[in-house]
Amino acid sequence: MKQIEVKEASFAYMQDDDANRIALNGVSLEIEQGDYIAILGPNGSGKSTLAKLLNNIELPTKGDVFVFGINTKNEDGFWDIRSKCACVFQNPDNQIVGTTVEEDIAFGPENLGIPNPELRQIVDASMKYVGLEKYATKQTANLSGGQKQKLAIAGALAMNPSIIIMDESTSMLDPNSRDEVLTLVEKLRHEKQITVITITHDMYEASRCDRVYVMYHGEIKKVGKPSSIFLERDKMLELGLDCPSHINLAHRIAKITHSKLTQEDLVSEETCAKRIIEMVKNAEFDDVKSYLKPDKNIQEVEPSKTIMQIENLSYSYDGDFKAIEDVSLDVREGEILAIIGQSGCGKTTLITHLNALIRPQEGSVTLICSNMNLSTAEKKHIKLLRQEVGLVFQYPEYQLFEETVYKDVAFGIKKMKLEPEEERRRVLEAIKLVGLKEDILEGSPFELSGGQKRRVALAGVLVMRPKVLVLDEPASGLDPRGRQGMLRIIESLKATGVTIILVSHYMDEVAEYADRICCMKDGKVIMLGSSTEIFEDIDKVEQMGIKVSRLNMFMRLMLKYNSSINPNVRSVEDAVRQLINTKGVELC
Amino acid sequence: MLKDISLGRYYSGNSIFHELDPRIKVVMFFTYMVTIFTVNKWQAMVLFSVITIAQIVIAKLPLKVIISSIMPVVPIALFIALLNMLTIREGRTLFEWNIIVITLGGTRKAILMASRLILLIISTSVLLTLTTTPLKLSDALEKLFAPLKVIKMPVHEMAMMMSIALRFIPTLVEETDRIMKAQVSRGADYDTGTIIARTKGYITVIIPLFISAFKRAEELATAMDARCYRGGEGRTKLNPLHLTSKDWIIGAILLVLAALVLVLQVINV
Repeated sequence: MKQIEVKEASFAYMQDDDANRIALNGVSLEIEQGDYIAILGPNGSGKSTLAKLLNNIELPTKGDVFVFGINTKNEDGFWDIRSKCACVFQNPDNQIVGTTVEEDIAFGPENLGIPNPELRQIVDASMKYVGLEKYATKQTANLSGGQKQKLAIAGALAMNPSIIIMDESTSMLDPNSRDEVLTLVEKLRHEKQITVITITHDMYEASRCDRVYVMYHGEIKKVGKPSSIFLERDKMLELGLDCPSHINLAHRIAKITHSKLTQEDLVSEETCAKRIIEMVKNAEFDDVKSYLKPDKNIQEVEPSKTIMQIENLSYSYDGDFKAIEDVSLDVREGEILAIIGQSGCGKTTLITHLNALIRPQEGSVTLICSNMNLSTAEKKHIKLLRQEVGLVFQYPEYQLFEETVYKDVAFGIKKMKLEPEEERRRVLEAIKLVGLKEDILEGSPFELSGGQKRRVALAGVLVMRPKVLVLDEPASGLDPRGRQGMLRIIESLKATGVTIILVSHYMDEVAEYADRICCMKDGKVIMLGSSTEIFEDIDKVEQMGIKVSRLNMFMRLMLKYNSSINPNVRSVEDAVRQLINTKGVELC
Repeated sequence: MLKDISLGRYYSGNSIFHELDPRIKVVMFFTYMVTIFTVNKWQAMVLFSVITIAQIVIAKLPLKVIISSIMPVVPIALFIALLNMLTIREGRTLFEWNIIVITLGGTRKAILMASRLILLIISTSVLLTLTTTPLKLSDALEKLFAPLKVIKMPVHEMAMMMSIALRFIPTLVEETDRIMKAQVSRGADYDTGTIIARTKGYITVIIPLFISAFKRAEELATAMDARCYRGGEGRTKLNPLHLTSKDWIIGAILLVLAALVLVLQVINV
C-alpha cells in the first residue's frame, strides 16, 4: 500500500461569479513512506491546494485522494489522516495559537485528547527535539522568525505524524534560520522516517530531495529525480522556474565547451563539481569572447559623488540596548548599495533613519543633494525629504488601500496638488517603471496577483520621483520569475540614475547587482567596500557570521579538485570567467 | 510607542500571583473592580492604594512595566478629571474666570475619578493581564462560565476566541506600526491638519490592517484545522487548573482585604 495516492484529483475554488477557478486539474501521484518530495511551481500553480487535499483540509471536486489507504472522502478516517499528516505553513505568525511556547506545542495533542502525564512528556520531547526547551514558558510573539518556524515544527511533531508537509515554510526566513530549519526537517526524516513533502521556490532545497514534482496551471508537468528535472534547464525556465546556481553553472559550462551533461553529472554537488572541472579541462577556449556574456555593469562610484552621509549614528529603542551603534556610511549618487546582515542586525532601524521616520539620537544623517541635516530639519522640510528618499518596506503590498490602482499609486503626490494631466503622467511613468500596463489602473489593487500588488506598491513610491530609493527585501516570498522581474526593475531604475539602497539577508540576491556592499552585524557596520573588495575578502565576511552565497559554497567545493580556482565569485558568469582563467586563457 | 500597550502582554515571572489559580484571579478581579467603584472616601482609597502597591511588590513586577501599562489610559483619566472639574459645582469656589468655575467638590470628584481609573488599570494588570497568560485566562473563564453550557452558550468557543484575540494583539500592533511607517513614507500625515483630515488619514492604516487581519484569520483557521482542532469536546489540557489549599488561602486573604476597604468606606472614622 502506498502511503499517499492521488488519482486524477481536481479542485476548483467556488467564486461569486459562478466561473469557478480551477486550481488543480487531474493530478495523480504516489508517495511512499519515508520519501523526501519537493513540489515546485510558480505562484498560482496549485501547489498549496494539493497540500490541502493531502491534509484533508479540502476534498477533491473530482477524483480521489488516498492517505494511508483511506479515501479522504471517507468521514470515519478524517481525523486519522489529519493527525498523521502535519503541516507547517509559510507565515510563522499565522500558525501559532498559543501564547507561550509549550502551550502552543500542546495545542495539537490537546485536540487529540491525549491525557497528562503523557501529554507533558510529548510536549517536552518535541520542544527538546527542535531545541526550544529554553523558551518553554516564553511568549511566542517574542520569538524570531526562525524560532517560530521551529515551534511550528515542534507543534507538528507533537502529533506524532507520519507525514510532514512544509508549505513554503522557509521562504520568510533569513539564510541561517533557513538552513537550520532545513537541517531539522532532514533530521526528522532520517531519525523518524517521516515522509517530507516540501513545497518551495528554493531550487537548492528541491535539489536535495528524492523526487520532484513540477506543477504548472494546476497540472503536474514533470516528475523525476532532481538530477533529471534540472537536466532540462530550458524546460524549467519555460515553466517559470530555475535551477540551483551550481547546476546553472554546469549548464553554462556545458554550453560553451560544447559538452553534454547527463543525469549522473547532476546527482550531487560533488558529481557536478567533478564534471565541470572535467569539461573545462578538456575544452579548448579559442574564441572566448563570442560566448561570454557581458557582466553586469557594476562599478564603484567615486566618493566625491556622495549623496547621503551617515555619521556615527546610534539608536536605542529602550535606552538600554543599542539597535544600531556608531554606524558611518556614505551613499553615492547612482549606485546600488547593498546592506547585508541577519535578521535583527539593525538594518531596518538604519533605513528608517534615512527618511526621518526616526530621528537620530546620536550622530547624524545628512542628505547632501538638498543640504539637509535630518537631526535638525523642520517638519515641513521632512515632507519634502520623503519625496526625495523613497522607502519601500518588506512586503509593501500590505500598504495598499485605495479602490483603484490609479488612486493608490497617486496617493504619494496628492498633496502636491498637481494639474490632473501632470498627475496622470507621473502615475503612468511609475506604472511603466515597474513593468505594469496601463489597463490595470482602473481596477482594484486587491484583485491583482501577489507579484503585481508588490509592483503597484513600488510604483506608489516611485511616483514621487525619489532620488534615493531604499528597498527592504524587495524579492522576498516571490517565485523565481517574480524575483527575476523585480531584479530587472531595480536594474532599469539604476539606469535612470536613481540611487538604490538594497537591503537583504541573502548574499545571493545582491551579489550580482550591488556596486558596493555594507555588511552589518549586531548593529554595527563590520565591512564596507566595493563589491569586488568584499568578495575578495569573503572569508572574513563569513567569519563575521554572514552566510556566503550557495554559489560560493559550491566554488569552494571545486577547490578540492582544482586548487587554482578563485572561489570568490559574484555570479554564475563571474564563475565562468574564473574557470576559463584557470586554463590561462587571456580575458580582456 | 504603539508597542507599549500592555493589554494582553504577559510578563513572565514566578511570584505568588503568577502561580495563583486564574479562576481565583478572575473572581478577585471582579471583586476589586466593584470595590473601587463603590469607594469614594479618601481613607478607603488610600487603603486600596496600599493594597495595590503591596500586590505589585508581591507580584515582583518592575515599576517600568506598571507605568507602561498605565500610560495609555492617562489621557483618558485626565480628560475625565477635567470634565468633572469643569462641570461639577459643589462646595467652596476655588477659582473663577469667565464661564470657568472650579469648585472644591468638583476637584475632589476629579481626583477621585482619575485615581479610580488608574487604580482599576493597575489592579487589572497585576491580578490578570500581566501575571496570567491569555490561555490560562480563557481557561479560567471557560471553567467559570461552564454552567452556561446548559443554556447552549458556546462557552468554549468564546474562550478560544478571546485567547486568540489576545495572542494576536502584539502581532497586530506591530503590523499597525509597520503600515503607519510605510504610509508616512509616502506622504501620509497623522499628526497635523484638522481632526477630520487626521481621521480620514487613518483610513490608510485601517484598510490595510483589516485586509491583513482577515488574511491572518483565514490562515490561522487552516492551521488550526490542520492541527485537528474540533471544538472543546474531548480536548485535554497541558496545564489543567487545580485549586490547591494555597489558592484558597490567598483568595481568602484577598477577599478579606477588599472587605476591609469596604468596611472603611461604610464606618464613620
